[in-house]
Amino acid sequence: MALDPLSSAFAALADPTRRAILARLALGETSVMELAEPFDMSLPAISRHLKVLEHAGLISRGREAQWRPCRIAPVAFKQVDGWLGNFRRFWDESFNRLDGLLEEMKAEEAAKASPRKKTKVRVTKEKQGGRTRG
Amino acid sequence: MDARVDKKLKITTPSDLEFAMTRQFDAPRRLVFDAMTKPDLVVRWLGCAEMAMPVCEIDLRVGGAYRFVFRSTEGIEHVLSGTYREVVRPERVVFGEVFAMPGFTSEEYLVTSVFVEADGMTTLTTTIKHPTREARDGHLNSGVEKGVAPAYDRLAEVVATMG
Repeated sequence: MALDPLSSAFAALADPTRRAILARLALGETSVMELAEPFDMSLPAISRHLKVLEHAGLISRGREAQWRPCRIAPVAFKQVDGWLGNFRRFWDESFNRLDGLLEEMKAEEAAKASPRKKTKVRVTKEKQGGRTRG
Repeated sequence: MDARVDKKLKITTPSDLEFAMTRQFDAPRRLVFDAMTKPDLVVRWLGCAEMAMPVCEIDLRVGGAYRFVFRSTEGIEHVLSGTYREVVRPERVVFGEVFAMPGFTSEEYLVTSVFVEADGMTTLTTTIKHPTREARDGHLNSGVEKGVAPAYDRLAEVVATMG
């Protein structure tokens, strides 16, 4: 199945090297050469990562200069942001509501348990009176 | 409320094929397990303001199926459905799941939820394993700790939280 544009953006983001490249580009545009510097990787390897990022629409590469400066494409990030926000909000909201439900469940359980505690006390007293526990 | 309970939702990527969500709850695991596996309880918490949950069916046994339907305010239905592979109350549940929405149906991915209890608190870790890395990354709309701000200057921070 072909990945939709958003999925290829996430696919691109899933790789640590590519995230590091993006983190560097967040500071401003730069060349492939400079991007490759902190990594123990060949230039072709870095270029492959850049192609993935470019294909995902996360970066664009200038045509205006021979060194083809790499820069971040903000539109794709905005789209990613929307998705992430929604998914996270879904689980955050759900789990926060679950906290409330668990409090109710604990209270119910405690209410059920307290008569049993009294019974237990009584049994203990009876036991002292010579009865064996069933 | 116990101050030691960390209610922040943490999302990590433990391997190429997986990502994991971790959340703590101030309750023993038998309650958390029930709240997550009994339909009358699930409907009381799962969902969000924009997503109602009109269908919640759970047949909690190995080979049993479940189906959750969420309907957005625009009427778009998102369906989570699957089959239970392991059910060990109250410590572990494993199921194969498929996510579907109009125009998109995911491959089946494996979801493992582990409930660990300590001092009356429960840590829930849900690991979602995709058959391929591409599929996981498609699902990775949940894989980032924070939303990505459109502004460039926030990007580095966000990217750092993904690692």
